[in-house]
Amino acid sequence: MKGNTGKIIDVDLTAGKVKVDELPEEYYGKYIGGSGLAAKLFWERGNFDAEPLSPEAMLIFMNGPFAGLKLSGVSRHSTAGRSPLTGGWGDSSCGGYLAPELRYAGYDGIAITGRAEKPSMLLIEDDRIEILDAGEYWGKETAEVNRALKEKYGKAYRTLVIGPAGENLVKYSIILNEGHHATGRAGFGAVMGSKNLKAIVVKAGKKEMTFADPEKVEELRKELNLKIKEALTSNVLHENGTAANLMGGMFVGDVPIRNWTSNFWEEASEDLTGSTLTETYLTKRSSCAFCSIACKRVVEVKEGPWAVPEGPGPEYETIVSFGTLIGSIDLAATCKAGRICNDLGIDTISAGGTIAWAMEAFERGDLTLEDTGGIELKWGDMDTVINKVVPMIAAKEGKLGALLAEGSVSAAGKIGKGSIDYTVQCKGLEAPMHDPRGGGHGLALTYAMGARGACHVAEPMLHAEMGSRYYPEIGFEYELEPMTDKEKPEAAVDIVAIGSIENSACFCQFADAEVSIPEWLDLFNAVPGYNWDIDEMMRTGRRIFYLKRLINHRFGRTADDDKLTKRMLEPARDGEPEGVEINFDGMKQRFYELMKIDPVKAIPVKEVLEEYGMGEEAAVVW
Amino acid sequence: MEFWKDENEPIEAFLKMFDECAKIEDIAAGLKKVNQLIWFDYTQDGPNCSFWVDCRGGEIKAGQGKPDEEPNLTMSLSVDDAHRAWSNKLNPVMAITRRKIKVKGSATGLLKLVPKSKKTAEVYVQVLRDMGKEDIIL
Repeated sequence: MKGNTGKIIDVDLTAGKVKVDELPEEYYGKYIGGSGLAAKLFWERGNFDAEPLSPEAMLIFMNGPFAGLKLSGVSRHSTAGRSPLTGGWGDSSCGGYLAPELRYAGYDGIAITGRAEKPSMLLIEDDRIEILDAGEYWGKETAEVNRALKEKYGKAYRTLVIGPAGENLVKYSIILNEGHHATGRAGFGAVMGSKNLKAIVVKAGKKEMTFADPEKVEELRKELNLKIKEALTSNVLHENGTAANLMGGMFVGDVPIRNWTSNFWEEASEDLTGSTLTETYLTKRSSCAFCSIACKRVVEVKEGPWAVPEGPGPEYETIVSFGTLIGSIDLAATCKAGRICNDLGIDTISAGGTIAWAMEAFERGDLTLEDTGGIELKWGDMDTVINKVVPMIAAKEGKLGALLAEGSVSAAGKIGKGSIDYTVQCKGLEAPMHDPRGGGHGLALTYAMGARGACHVAEPMLHAEMGSRYYPEIGFEYELEPMTDKEKPEAAVDIVAIGSIENSACFCQFADAEVSIPEWLDLFNAVPGYNWDIDEMMRTGRRIFYLKRLINHRFGRTADDDKLTKRMLEPARDGEPEGVEINFDGMKQRFYELMKIDPVKAIPVKEVLEEYGMGEEAAVVW
Repeated sequence: MEFWKDENEPIEAFLKMFDECAKIEDIAAGLKKVNQLIWFDYTQDGPNCSFWVDCRGGEIKAGQGKPDEEPNLTMSLSVDDAHRAWSNKLNPVMAITRRKIKVKGSATGLLKLVPKSKKTAEVYVQVLRDMGKEDIIL
């Protein structure tokens, strides 16, 4: 096998045993790697009856086929399994430095089941794989543990660490790579916590990998690195980070404000945009392995109530989720909130979304002082958010901490009073900081169709509606207008396939936007040697999309789960999209028709599964 | 050229638009924040078909042709697409993706102008009216 190693590490923490497994080569050709290959592995070996935080639950880390290649954007990995937050399929992409190290060590992934008797960590040094005692790290924050592991093993050892939130089984806990790069969504930090697994540490002896066509790989690598480096988007992301276009987003109504009750806040467009962060608190730019874009921020707030020492800075999602979404335009406070969430190990999107819901509930009187343990929740009160609410969530402390640690859907279910209507989520996953009412109606469709729930990176619809995706080789030449449903289901048919390819190849959307369809194909044929044509590549993308739907079906999901909440679909109250309605039901019906998805079960019809070489899977679900 | 009789006519319109924009407080404030020397290069439609805008140092200056200094940002496109863009009828991201617009240099300053694009288009349309060019208003 080329590119991929064909091997995964199989860990049973209950038995304290580790073995190396070889995966069938056909899995790779049919499911690529990353979240696609993880889905196939889960389908074959996962326990569908196991609760996400039970010992029987399987937690998967999986590389894409390009991990280890010195190319901008490919040093990501996927973490996957059953999400404790949603109860359905979950996968989460993480940048940083783990992916190449794991590949060089000789593995494509790690599959973990069981529960260790005591706090443990996994140490991988090429063939030497050990489950070690991690008692000294338990209860400590991510930054401290990352630092301690580096001191103990060496700076070149790559780390995955959970914080106290993961240990406390907060449903939207994260896993942090190198103390900076987050596996943010779907709560896999809690899954690690449930297994008593505090950290994974990886170090390879040699930095080598194989290629199907080494000369072609070198040619492609040089061409693509230059193309990505010189791209306008890369330039903007490098200079001002992922929040570079927050200002532009604000003026089209894409940036959510006060739990999606407003779509315009002019002051925020200045105070929170990426260039303001650059001019105020940025000290350095940082990157994932081999990436020339370097969109990551390193910040320092020197003084004031939100002083933070130099370290990881907030990305767009954190700036908005701990900014306008909860009624604040204090950029220093978002730096502080982001840092605390990282250290405690909490997803800023779900945390911000859940807190925003709670603030609205409190304002409406649906959430009372008795429910909050006497804490007043007010828009923009960052002191309460940073010093009380976030630490209480991480510790599940008091009534409020326990309530919000389960996520907005669970909290709304507990307090009732129709408060589910103003949660902002799909399938239980709080939505990211792009409002389809202004950002693009197609995004509403792909939020709902996403296997893990509301997600802007599972499929690049946001980019397509902005105009930055153009693939004439597959007939994707749509000139999409964001604020209509015109051609969105048709575009989504290709977009879900491309999104599946991206997330299975573990290629960053910011970098791979520059990769044309023929270049994608060349990469797949030259690195792992899949020997595809364009049609087969696109079929593979769609097959992965279908497989995740089948997994959700086995978790009890139906077409009723492919929906957005009332708040997300009500006409915007102000800003550019004021009064515009989204034809969600029309888009959903048309997409189902185009993808041949059963309108009740929400899975592809049997004939389609057979056409896609999924006859065995079809026999399970039909 | 679909909209213009010669290469000087569009440049006259674009320069007048910038003159007018500089007189409108919030657009002028937005332009100053760009803080760059930008060359709008339409020379594919004629050697004199280009203009520059210098928003550095709290001033707004503009002139026909290529600037004497190296620009921070160069945007190269056809003058007809420029007309569509200044009319707010061309998605610049889409145009860049499809190579209709080529960008060289840092575009971060230009992002600060995006929120002003509607107002700028209104000014541009008025300039076209004043020039008797109602027939090309999009």
